[in-house]
Amino acid sequence: MKSKKYFVLIIDDHPLITEAYITALDYYSKHNETVDFSIKTANDCDSGRLLIKRALKSEEHKYIVFLDIKLPPSRDGEILSGEDLGLLIRDLLPNPRIIVSTTFNDNFRVHNILKNINPEGLLIKNDITPLELLETIRIVINDPPYYSKTVLKLLRDQVVNDFILDNYDRKILYELSIGTRMKDLPNILPLSIASIEKRKRNLKSMFNVKKLDDRQLIVSAREKGFI
Amino acid sequence: MVRFCGNPPKTAGSPLSPSKNDSVATWIRASKNDSYALQERKQFLIKAYHIVKASQIDTVQTRKLTTIAYQNLKLGDTTLFKNRTNEALALATRINDSFAMGDAHWNYASYYTNRAIYDSAYQHFDTANKYFDKSGYVYESANMQYGMAFIKGRFKDYSGSEVLTFMAIKKFKQIEDYKSLYSCYDHLGQLQNDIYEYDKALYYYDRASEYLEEFDNNQTQFQASLNNIGITYLKKEEYSRALQNFNTLLENDRLKLDNKDSYARALDNRAYCKLLMKDTLHIAKQLNEALHIRDSLDDKSGILISKIHLVRYYTYAQDSVKAIAVAKEANRLAEEIRNSRDYLESLSILANLDPKNSAVYLKRHIDYSDSLQIIERKIQNKFTRIAFETDEYIQETERLEGQKVWISIISSVVMLVIALLFLIWRQKVRHSLLLFENEQQQVNEQIYLISLKQQEKLENEKIKERNRISEELHDGVLGKLFGTRMNLGFLAIEGDKKTLKQHQLYIDELQTIEKEIRDVSHELSDNFDNSQINFLIIINEVLETNSKLGDFKFELNPDESIDWIQVNQIIKINLYRILQEALQNIIKHAQAKNVIISFDTDESKIIMKIKDDGVGFDCKKKRKGIGMKNMTSRIKKLKGVFTVLSEPTKGTLLTIQIPI
Repeated sequence: MKSKKYFVLIIDDHPLITEAYITALDYYSKHNETVDFSIKTANDCDSGRLLIKRALKSEEHKYIVFLDIKLPPSRDGEILSGEDLGLLIRDLLPNPRIIVSTTFNDNFRVHNILKNINPEGLLIKNDITPLELLETIRIVINDPPYYSKTVLKLLRDQVVNDFILDNYDRKILYELSIGTRMKDLPNILPLSIASIEKRKRNLKSMFNVKKLDDRQLIVSAREKGFI
Repeated sequence: MVRFCGNPPKTAGSPLSPSKNDSVATWIRASKNDSYALQERKQFLIKAYHIVKASQIDTVQTRKLTTIAYQNLKLGDTTLFKNRTNEALALATRINDSFAMGDAHWNYASYYTNRAIYDSAYQHFDTANKYFDKSGYVYESANMQYGMAFIKGRFKDYSGSEVLTFMAIKKFKQIEDYKSLYSCYDHLGQLQNDIYEYDKALYYYDRASEYLEEFDNNQTQFQASLNNIGITYLKKEEYSRALQNFNTLLENDRLKLDNKDSYARALDNRAYCKLLMKDTLHIAKQLNEALHIRDSLDDKSGILISKIHLVRYYTYAQDSVKAIAVAKEANRLAEEIRNSRDYLESLSILANLDPKNSAVYLKRHIDYSDSLQIIERKIQNKFTRIAFETDEYIQETERLEGQKVWISIISSVVMLVIALLFLIWRQKVRHSLLLFENEQQQVNEQIYLISLKQQEKLENEKIKERNRISEELHDGVLGKLFGTRMNLGFLAIEGDKKTLKQHQLYIDELQTIEKEIRDVSHELSDNFDNSQINFLIIINEVLETNSKLGDFKFELNPDESIDWIQVNQIIKINLYRILQEALQNIIKHAQAKNVIISFDTDESKIIMKIKDDGVGFDCKKKRKGIGMKNMTSRIKKLKGVFTVLSEPTKGTLLTIQIPI
């Protein structure tokens, strides 16, 4: 049986984490002789992008990418986070297996990651244990996707609540939850203040929250898994 | 010849007739009662005086004092009289009672007339007259003029006397005082007699007798009138008519008993008249009888006249020794009683009777009549001077009074100005106080604004810092912990089962720690912009408190699109205050059940509407209360528009538009 060779890119700014991934991969290939990994690492957006571009030149076709979301942005300002890198990977690499591993566990970000990158594996760092990491590798190689527990819970919540929230609604809720002011929202979203107000009113009635209570709106949205 | 003309009788008691219970009046009345001994009567007056002194000083008491003084004079107590009158005059001057002042001067005039010090008497009459005339006491004023006329007549200022008498007559006619009118006309008759205008004199005597009919108890005056007319005819040399008058007088049988004085006069005059008619029958006897009666009455001027008549008789009878002797007696008597007219007559008679000494008598006659003329002229001058001085005095008084008026006008104007200035000053102070309060309020609001901004900044910084910590925990610490945990997990640890289990436990514990840190991080970043809704929350609070106070339900409809953060704090504060005022009004007056507050906006302005379903009011009639004024001034300051719509029973709608 010919061993399959995977080209693995680990993009994470924590050397400890990178090391853990490598250990896990080594451990996995030791126990699965048919799988072989060629590992390259990067620790910021710039080196990540470079890595992706270099990988493209190689002959390899099977890519596994461990991608952190929170990364030092690229110096030219084009790549701001792992999310951008993820998009780049999807664009450039043929059929990559992306495992997004993040400490973000808020619903909005997770939702966005799912929507934008649609990774083969989505791990919330706190969820996983070494065993789970090995399991992730196995599933991503053999039968993606793999979502860690928090992600699954989020998806479940959303299915249960049949609110129809578009991206803007989510963004508004998210921004409000992190303390962004209403007056600053038009700078963040391509919407006028009036339409943002209108959306907010709709959200409040949707979540059955009193008119004046923005806080309650956020709490409610969070409960229901939108943030 | 006899003149019947006395001083004007002074009536005791002022026009302010004292009541019967008045003890002062009682004592004064008692003092007039001649059934008491003189000493007792004086004592009464002293008692009256003490009562007056003990009581409060006013017009009534001052006038009583002059009455007491006059009563003292009548009882012959001149020292007390002077003291009392001085006192009364001082009091009257102090309380400015012109009647009492006139009365006091009248007292002096009576006193000096009694003493035959006519110039002083005249002066006091004049002054008294000015006072009485000024304050409208007609009777008193007329009496004073009569008194002056009498004195002037005495000093041969006939025309002056006449003028004064006529002035008095005019006044007496006004008050229909017939007795006084009689006296006046009688006096006029005397004056005409003195200037040998007998027909005129008779005319006046006639008029006098006409008035005589008008009053009772006129016997004395009636007799005097008949006598005077008789004498006038006598002078006119119409002896039979004169005789007729004297006879009429003597026909009255009671005369001899009732009025000896009058009887003697009539008897004497009739005898003299007969003598002039050259009827000497019983004349000597009658003349002597009259002289005896007069002697017994000690009527010195009567005696003098009788004696002169006797001299005429003896001359006629050519008994020159007797004539000269009686004439000398008459001359002495005339000198004694200072009857200048009879003195001169006696001198000329003596000159005729006593050819030896004729030159001496004539010289004496000439000297005396010259000196008499000089005295008369002097006194006449003095009267003129007195009149002039009194006029001057009156003018001076008027001038002073005018000055007083001016002073009072000026002082009241000054007072007014001062009061005005004071008012203005107080207004100013109040105004500046208000301004100060206003400023204070503005400063307070500014301070409040500044502190709000400061707080906002602080809040922002806090949020930033929290976010930074949160991020640090999340990205740094969490990542490292995660990495460590994973690596620990992959570390092939050898040992017994228990050790391995323990190892796994610690790794799991690490995971729990991670989770906790992540939660902390989330909580830290769970920021929420509170200031965004602060304003509406505050408004809500105000509404809640006031709705409990005013027992009404409220509804708050804010336009969500208003970005309250963007709205100027000053506008917000003022909107808040205006709402407070409006709610105060609603609680106080409206008795509303429901209140609706709405905030709207259109690009350029914020519109606050406050609507209630209370009693409302008529916008046109109702004066603005302080609450409304405050609202108006606040809105004006913000260049806003304020409209009030209200009708009785239909509630009120306040619309406030503030530009942003």
